Formats: sequence, structure tokens, C-alpha cells
Amino acid sequence: MATLTLPKHSLPSLLPSQTPRTPFSQSLSFVSKSSQSQFFGLTFSFSSNLPIPSSTPAKTSIVAKVNKGQVPPSFTLKDQDGKTVSLSKFKGKPVVVYFYPADETPGCTKQACAFRDSYEKFKKAGAEVVGISGDDTPSHKAFAKKYKLPYTLLSDEGNKVRKEWGVPSDLFGTLPGRQTYVLDKKGEVQLVYNNQFQPEKHIDETLKLLQSL
Amino acid sequence: MAILPHHKYPLRSLEHVPTCHHPSWSRARVTCSATTTTSTKPMSNPDQLIIEPRLDRLVTTPSLLVTPTSSPSTSSRNTSPLLNDPNWLSTWSHRAWVATGCTTVLISLAKSMVAAANSHIWLEPMLAGYIGYILSDLGSGVYHWGIDNYGDASTPIFGSQIEAFQGHHKWPWIITRRQFANNLHALARAITFVVLPIDILCDDPTLQGFVGVCSGCIMFSQQFHAWAHGTKSKLPPPVVALQEAGVLVSRMQHSAHHRQPYNNNYCIVSGIWNEFLDKQKVFEALEMVLFFKLGVRPRSWCEPISDWTEETETPSPVH
Repeated sequence: MATLTLPKHSLPSLLPSQTPRTPFSQSLSFVSKSSQSQFFGLTFSFSSNLPIPSSTPAKTSIVAKVNKGQVPPSFTLKDQDGKTVSLSKFKGKPVVVYFYPADETPGCTKQACAFRDSYEKFKKAGAEVVGISGDDTPSHKAFAKKYKLPYTLLSDEGNKVRKEWGVPSDLFGTLPGRQTYVLDKKGEVQLVYNNQFQPEKHIDETLKLLQSL
Repeated sequence: MAILPHHKYPLRSLEHVPTCHHPSWSRARVTCSATTTTSTKPMSNPDQLIIEPRLDRLVTTPSLLVTPTSSPSTSSRNTSPLLNDPNWLSTWSHRAWVATGCTTVLISLAKSMVAAANSHIWLEPMLAGYIGYILSDLGSGVYHWGIDNYGDASTPIFGSQIEAFQGHHKWPWIITRRQFANNLHALARAITFVVLPIDILCDDPTLQGFVGVCSGCIMFSQQFHAWAHGTKSKLPPPVVALQEAGVLVSRMQHSAHHRQPYNNNYCIVSGIWNEFLDKQKVFEALEMVLFFKLGVRPRSWCEPISDWTEETETPSPVH
């Protein structure tokens, strides 16, 4: 991008720029207590009278929230080649599971390419990288091919896994959230990082954590 | 603003992929694949043939903002504008609209000043005027973003303007060749229709202060825009000084908008909002929301954007 000459009358930044959270991030669903996010959401009880997002049926039990220290629910999804992949496949090694809004959108492309460019570092740390979005297999295949992504992309059609893991949405529920989990060798979550509009930071934060594992 | 799915956009081939139905974010997936033809080639690309006849048609009809760049005397296959295209000259119709636009703005300002004097208040109208100046920049950015990214020539009301904006991306230097009224008449016409009723109905000095300054800045934004495409050595020194002071949008800032990925620096009055809007990814957020809610992709997501690749007849001014 071009270098800009800043006007003398710049408007001050109205939003904190150093926090990892998104500028307009607000969760309407059950929010995970993120170790990186400075956004403290409310944890709803299914018996409460508080407004519950329409995607969560009122009579069912609470959607599980994947927090640090927990073992997330397993999943079995199709990858970009149509093969079935289970989370259990990665047991015994660290795995980075990143949920992103959609293929071929600017932020997601930046994030995917950043994971690609740092993939060797992830391999060196013994970790696998798995990207998950609601796009279908052909979309993932095209996306992975176009940007030469060396890792697995999984199709979470219907966003079932996203909901099971409790990935919060952004901008009043209009945008699927961008949240990354780092699981250790035992399959326990050691990091939950959320940042919608600074996608490259996901790579820095996850690598930092992996190097300490 | 009318927003059409990109599958109606004629300038690039589009393919539909199966719709992904999500409970929360259902959208139609439309991918854009840029044409392989660059805009620097002579007219041989059927896609480009689509735009040229429209430009010829637009020559004879009043355009809203930027009149088309091809002369009626050129064939429909001619892509490059003439060096001294008669379409860049001001007509009496253009001048009349600029005159009426200026008149409505001046009436608004005059009413504000007279009412302020009568009421012995100065701070509120002046502050309102300043807010009008600030918000006109924001308004110019939002409108510019919308027109640059959505719709096409067939979009109701905005179609000709959308096409003109795309022509401007292809030939940005032409705006510096247009005569004053030719450049401003479309905005002046819109301002006339909006401000005249306010002039008639409103006597409040603060509101008129806001309206007068805001509408004046919007009307002259095309001139500020033209200056932002100018060369420093050829611009009047006061204009250069105002650009460098940040009062008017700077040449450097605006030139960034004309470079890949064409998704920043949309504001063209003072440019004061550009840093904030770009840093906070406001337009990116709006684009994502529109994508997930309506299934439309903005043009700035499609790379390479061959339709926006600048075709320079003269070197672009970069300083």
C-alpha cells in the first residue's frame, strides 16, 4: 500500500489500536474468556431471561464454549480435496485451528498467506495448521490452489463446529468471527486469539505461544 | 444506493459457485475473475467494447459527475481519449448549473450570517460550518467508496456516474483537462435541488451555517479532486499551500487511491477522514457486511483490477 502523507489535521484514533480485539467487536453469543482479548463478555445461563441470539434455541443446553485449558469438542469435516479429516488425527502434536469468515476475502486471504509464509516455523514447532470456514470444498480447493496454501482447509458447512466451539461473531452478528485456537499435544486449548481486522497478528500470537510450549 | 450483485457487471467474466447456506450468514458466492486484457491495449477486447458505446452515448446526455472521456466523433472502437476532447469544455448548461449551485450555497451562507448577526450569535453557526466542512469530507468518502465498488452502468440513477468513476480510474489525468463548469456541473445540479428548499424553508443560522459550508464543500469537491491530480508546479501556490496544510485533499494522499489495491483514501474534500477510515478498516468492515448479507463483492476485492489500471497519456503526477 502507498505511503501516505498525514494531513496536519488528522483525526485522533477513536479506538484503541494496540488491543488484539476488533474495532467494532461485540459478541452477542456466549463469549469465551480469551486469554488475549480484552473483551470480557457475559456468560449466559440457559435458564436466564437475558436475550439469547436467535441461532441458539432457547430450550437446548448452553452451547459449549471452548476456553483455555479445555479440550474442545471433536469434529469431522471435509478438507479441500474432499477427504474426511477429524480433529483426533492431530492428537499427539500441537495444532493451530483458525476459524475465518470466508475464502477470497481480503482479511482471510492475508491471514491464509501469512500462515503459508510462516508454515515452516509452524512445522519446526511440530505443529499443524488447520483453517476452518463455512465455505464448501470446491471453494477451499480453489482458494488453496490460488494461494498455494500448504495446510488443511476444512469445510464447516452450516457453521456447526464454529457454533460448537463458541466462536463469537462480530459487528452485531453480521460477520463470522476470526478466532484462532492453539491446542497442545494433549489436545488442550492453550490459546484463544480473536482479531477480525488484523489477521496477520494471529500468526505472530500463535507462533509466540507455540515456541513456549 | 442501488447495489447490484456482481454477476450483472459487464466488464469482467463472473462465475457463480454453489451457494453456501449458513443459518446466520447465507450469501450467494460470486467470484470475480479479471479479464486477461489490459486497458493499455487497443480496442480488441469485447469487454471493453461494452463500455465504449456507452461512453459515446453519454456524450450527448448530461452526465452526473464526470463526463465521458471519448468524443462523439471517435468510433466506438476508440479507447484512448483525444488530447483536446471537446467534451472537456464547459457549455452554457454547465455554467448555468454551477451558477445555480453557487447561488443556493451563497444564499444559505448569507442567511446564516444575517440571522447570526440579528441574533448576536457567532460561535454556533461558525462551529456548525466547521462541522459541515468536516462531515462533507466523510460524505465524499462514503459516496466515493460506494460508487467505486458497487453497481455498474446499468444501475438505476447512479449508473452513469459509476461508469464515469471507472473511466476516471482508467484515465485519471483527464480531470485536470476539464474546464471548471464541465467538472462541477453535475454536483452543482444535485446541490441546487437539495439546498434550494432548505434556503427557502429554513431560517436558523446554525443549520444554514452547516448546510452552506457542507454543500459548498461537496460542490467544490470535484475541483479539489482535480487539484489533487494536478502537478505541483502547475497549481496555484495558494492551492498547494492548502493541500500541504491538510485543508484540501493532498496530491500524495489521493494518488494512493489510484494505486493497487484501490481500497483506501476515498475522501476528497480535505482527506481528514482518510487516515481514520483506513486505519480502522471501516470500509473493509462495510464490505464484509455487504458481502455476507447481500452476497455482493466490491470491485476492490478483485485483483488484478484491469479496468482500473491507469492508462496514462501523460505521466501521472506523483508529487
